Amino acid sequence: MLYSIIASGLAVGAVYALIGITYNTMFATSRVMSFTAGQLGMLGGVLGSMFILRLGLPIILGFAATLLVCAAIGVLTEFVAVRPVLKSLDQHLYVLSTLAFALMIQQVTATEWSTEPQPFPRLFGIGEGIWDEKYWLPVVTCAVTISALEYLYRRTLIGRAFLAVAEDNFAARALGLPERNLRVASYALAAVVGGLAGFSGGELLLAFFANGPQLNFYGFIPVALGGLGNNRGAVIGGLALGLFQQGANFAVGGIFASVAVFAMFIAILLAVPQGLFGSSSARRV
Amino acid sequence: MPILEPEPLLRVSGLYAGYGKVGILHGVDMHIRTGELVTLLGPNGAGKTTLLRAISGLIPWSKGEALFAGLSLRDIDPGRAGAMGLVHVIEGHRVFTQSSVTDNLLLAGYGLPRGERSARVEEALAYFPEIAEKRNALGGALSGGQQQMLAVAQGLVRKPKLLMLDEPSAGLSPVLVDRVFSVLAQLRDSGTAVLLVEQLIEKALGVADRLYALSQGHIVLAADADEDDLPARLERAYFGQDAHPLVG
Amino acid sequence: MTRSNLMASWFYVAVLAVLLILPLTGNEYRALIGTRAAIYWVVVAGLNLIVGFAGQLAIGYVALFALGAYTASILAAGNVVPEMHPALALIAAMGVGAIFGLLVGLPALRLRTFYFAMSTLGFATIVTQVALGWQDVTGGGIGLSGPSMPAPFDTPWGLYWLCVGLAIICTIMTANVAQSRFGRALIATRDAEVAAEACGISKPKMLVSVFLFAGAAAGLAGGLFASLQTYITPDAFTFDLSLLFFISILIGGRGSILGPLLGTILLTLLPEVAAPLAAWSTFVYAGLLLLIVLAMPGGIAALLDRESRKALPSGRTIIPQHEALRALLGETRKRQRLQLSGILLAFGGLKAIDGLDLVVEPGEVHGLIGPNGSGKTTTLNVISGYYKPQQGEIALGDMPLAAGRPVGRAAEGICRTFQTPRVIGEETVLENVMVGGTLAGRASFVEALLCLPRARADERRIKVTAMQALTAVGLDSLADIRADRLQHSELRFLEIARALMLHPRLLLLDEPAAGLSVQEIQRLGALIKAISREGVAVLLVEHHADLIFDICDRVTVLNLGRMLAHGTPAEIRVHKEVVSAYLGA
Repeated sequence: MLYSIIASGLAVGAVYALIGITYNTMFATSRVMSFTAGQLGMLGGVLGSMFILRLGLPIILGFAATLLVCAAIGVLTEFVAVRPVLKSLDQHLYVLSTLAFALMIQQVTATEWSTEPQPFPRLFGIGEGIWDEKYWLPVVTCAVTISALEYLYRRTLIGRAFLAVAEDNFAARALGLPERNLRVASYALAAVVGGLAGFSGGELLLAFFANGPQLNFYGFIPVALGGLGNNRGAVIGGLALGLFQQGANFAVGGIFASVAVFAMFIAILLAVPQGLFGSSSARRV
Repeated sequence: MPILEPEPLLRVSGLYAGYGKVGILHGVDMHIRTGELVTLLGPNGAGKTTLLRAISGLIPWSKGEALFAGLSLRDIDPGRAGAMGLVHVIEGHRVFTQSSVTDNLLLAGYGLPRGERSARVEEALAYFPEIAEKRNALGGALSGGQQQMLAVAQGLVRKPKLLMLDEPSAGLSPVLVDRVFSVLAQLRDSGTAVLLVEQLIEKALGVADRLYALSQGHIVLAADADEDDLPARLERAYFGQDAHPLVG
Repeated sequence: MTRSNLMASWFYVAVLAVLLILPLTGNEYRALIGTRAAIYWVVVAGLNLIVGFAGQLAIGYVALFALGAYTASILAAGNVVPEMHPALALIAAMGVGAIFGLLVGLPALRLRTFYFAMSTLGFATIVTQVALGWQDVTGGGIGLSGPSMPAPFDTPWGLYWLCVGLAIICTIMTANVAQSRFGRALIATRDAEVAAEACGISKPKMLVSVFLFAGAAAGLAGGLFASLQTYITPDAFTFDLSLLFFISILIGGRGSILGPLLGTILLTLLPEVAAPLAAWSTFVYAGLLLLIVLAMPGGIAALLDRESRKALPSGRTIIPQHEALRALLGETRKRQRLQLSGILLAFGGLKAIDGLDLVVEPGEVHGLIGPNGSGKTTTLNVISGYYKPQQGEIALGDMPLAAGRPVGRAAEGICRTFQTPRVIGEETVLENVMVGGTLAGRASFVEALLCLPRARADERRIKVTAMQALTAVGLDSLADIRADRLQHSELRFLEIARALMLHPRLLLLDEPAAGLSVQEIQRLGALIKAISREGVAVLLVEHHADLIFDICDRVTVLNLGRMLAHGTPAEIRVHKEVVSAYLGA
């Protein structure tokens, strides 16, 4: 029993961590927390199921198509819901514009896809019990994603340009970096990470339109715990959340597990507002 | 002075700019010729930084014109300005602390072909052996003076025709200031025009060919750097009746 | 009464008339729709103070509505505790709503906007899950009956009148708050948070009152809704409903009561007139939301506000009336000197202020000058409590000032202006200045809700003082103009008027002359001097050397966080080191 709690805890934790990274990647270049993060996770599952099961594409093509569509939606988010409100960041209009855009994605999915959870294809057919692929796939995906992002940020010029824009937007602009294009690219990248979360977690969470808001909230908790923009914090926070949630699920049952998670979220936010691994010192005057 | 002057590299005429509703520059006229080191002086709040930002496209301007090598700089962005050869090193040596010295320089060459980029980085580092030694150190691990050199070197990666620097001496020890200024003189001698915003008047006048003094958004003094009695004339221009006659 | 106020009253009368005429039609379906609109408005009216006034993005408010519905139903049904009278059950629903409204709001007291939005969203998800899962109590997916109201409210029209009556009470109460110092303070924390702090407004305190009120309203509305539905299941409380509440406010316009009221009516009727849209309701609401954010941030209220589209006279001049200062500052408080000793403040390794001693005497204008980065504004921020120095003491008179507590400063008589004017663009000039008088009010939030005599007296007094302050700085003719239509220079004078509202002992001015014309600088100088002559200590950070030398009694020059020199302007003017530090050496 304990092992199955750990297996499922790590699996959903990895999905939450990936959604957290999605938030962070968008935040880094735009200082915007976008409500589309969870929807992208939802789309990863729905699109995967649609391309592979409904349209019958081979798995690899279905995978590529899923990520491609997600990336396109990421770019669209930047154009529709982020760019127009960047000028007045302090009014927090992005909360509303990204929420609106996220809800539109959700409704289209509900209407055009299905309002019921639909099956997600079994990808490799490897493993059973606690070693079933549905448990280890998200964990492996999370590890691969983190390594790939580390490589991108440390070894490639475009990755360093992302970091530069994130660290000091003004200096990056003054240096002649194409800050706008980099922002669009980071939204595409974030969307791919979100799509990966949903695709790898598809066998666990199924292809269900209502996963969006759930992932939005549970994917945000690792960000709040780990500190805004801190990917390693998000991974640790995500896995911890997954284990806590599954543990509480077993101990006190599903409903009260949610209550416990929510109470923990509020308590930690109030105790350490900048997150467990974050630092914050905004200049106000 | 020759009677028939060629069109200067940079010509600013009647420039108005500011932030939102706040007007900072009220009709600035100035010019810089190729191979000239010009210093822009003025008290705090005079609009020096705003002027550089307006020229390099970091902020829009409302009225007036600025021509670089005959082309208008209206609505340009710093990336395109850099490609034209107009480079702005902003104040406060804001290098990227999470990236290494080499990466900081490579970023300055973003968009250049890969081979050329590395070559330009080496050329820029050649001006500053003290940071070439630390090419793998993180930007955040450098001292303030080294960060300033790195910022100037970032500017050089673009091989500018005109390099604009905003208070490169701020927070530096006198020895380092001399070091940075000697590089500027070297650049001028190799044909690069330099526009230097400075607080340290004597040091700036030591390297400059000409000076402009800005006060409350107007050019209040334009002179050659070797003219007599400049400190006193500047003082009058800032504090005294020359800047703005007070009525009554 | 201005013309736009008059127009607003006509709208209220029209809404009221429709409510009165509706029963005459006798159509019970209309009673249902009318009751529903009234119930929604009870939620929205409370929520409006949070979203429209305080600017906090509470997007999951359906959770409190659901909580109220379940509380009232469970208590009235008596399946868990002994059966309760429906009226008591409704009151209990209000209480539960208020408590949870506060709990969910806690993150808003300390954290960024997005966190609050998330916590309300998370709460909404969880309430639904609990309602589904906790079957013994909530009936799970099957649901349970709502409370049935006692006579005369047990008929459709009876319930209609009950809900309409409560909706009217909520309208009046929120309008009372909106027109009180609390309403202005809420908007100030929304649009000019730092300035609000400097006026002594504590955002957490304000928000707690509002969260309690809005939570209670949502709980009450939930109970009424359960009674209207007669039977509730978790499906009745979808996120769509949350969106409806939220968007009603945004469509209506921030900082307005009438706008959101019309918005609520509009969105309640929308599914009735456009039935085919029902399947796409989320999409429609979301699309509306996006449209409002991108294209119409002012909402209906802005469309109704004709007044602010009329052109202002150009070429206005600001002519301060120094005589008004006497009336304003006449019975000024005990004169006190400000004393800073041994202040040390470092950011990381950088010493921004390095052992600074400074004395500002009452009745003098004290200039603080120095090159960029010499620590002038940092010094102001230490005095006004935004920064906490690592070492050193600040005292006003004999009383030491707590470091790092900006909100307490206004009560001590320390007021300030900012380098970039921080005003509320959507409020009138007069209202902006009245924000400065928030601390002068004595009535509590509850008194303001009910518009009791003390609250009315507060309003009259603050308004009179604010007009005096506006006359003193020369902006009285612009009192009813929205602040975002003013020129930059006028905003600088507006900030001074706001600072004068609290009879300051010490006035801190951060580059007040930046962006002003020569003539305006002269008038500003004369005004500052006149203020100091009423016994106020003035500390002036400024770049304009001519202004400094013109009006200062003493000048302190900073360099690298330390005092380089101090003395009279004449002494400083010829001080060799100063001239070279200022001009560069």
